[in-house]
Amino acid sequence: MKTLTILYDARCAMCRSIRVWLSQQAAYVPLIFVPLQDEHLEDRFPGIGALKPGEELIAIADTGEVWRGVNGWIMTLWALREYRNWSLRMSHPLLKPFARSICHGVSQNRLTISRWLFGHSPETAARLLAQPACEDGTCAR
Amino acid sequence: MNIIITHHLLYLALSVVTTIWVASTLHKHGRIFLVDAFHGNEKLADSVNHLLVVGFYLINVGFVVFAVKYGDRPTDFATMLESLGTKVGCVLLILGVMHFLNIYVFNTMRKNAVIRHAPPPVGPDAYVARH
Repeated sequence: MKTLTILYDARCAMCRSIRVWLSQQAAYVPLIFVPLQDEHLEDRFPGIGALKPGEELIAIADTGEVWRGVNGWIMTLWALREYRNWSLRMSHPLLKPFARSICHGVSQNRLTISRWLFGHSPETAARLLAQPACEDGTCAR
Repeated sequence: MNIIITHHLLYLALSVVTTIWVASTLHKHGRIFLVDAFHGNEKLADSVNHLLVVGFYLINVGFVVFAVKYGDRPTDFATMLESLGTKVGCVLLILGVMHFLNIYVFNTMRKNAVIRHAPPPVGPDAYVARH
């Protein structure tokens, strides 16, 4: 595996923050971030729509394997130098059910959590709308 | 005077011989851990192994030499044996602690290597066409 592509929700402030944090970590496998709002998503990853990328985090290897939900998170951590041991821990049969329900809960309520954590004051909203969330501008709004 | 010199010489001989024995055991049996930790890189493993043993010798022989003058001076054969027992026992305990510390270091190195080379812990949920 040479790269791991992470599909994330660019509408959600928490997801954008996590994306920034992830991109700052040293990685064994470089992470590529693609917002699920990307209009070429289906062209880049044929059949990805059937996996409902809007519901949970999806990780796609350059070799074609897809991991969804808690498995996507486990693979994301596995790709990182400092957190590979966490991915091994998280995938342990005893911990995985808890990890799964946490990932599921967070994904389902990501917009609500974003509102709690990042607020939605008119200033924040205006600032968010004014500046693109990532370099190429594709994940703005 | 004579009994004190005998006591010191016996103490040094016993302690140093034990240190050499423990160090050579570590050197011999720690190698396989290190080779595994460095993913088969035998040269690097041998180098680290050697450096660890040098540190082990420095600390232990240093302590042994340092401790020569501590404790009551023996006056006869019985007190000499007692004092020898206390001091050599102390050296053995220190060697034991150092030994487990070394094993801990070896094992940490090996565990880190295992984590570094761990395959993906979960199988894929689906496949998409390669692009």
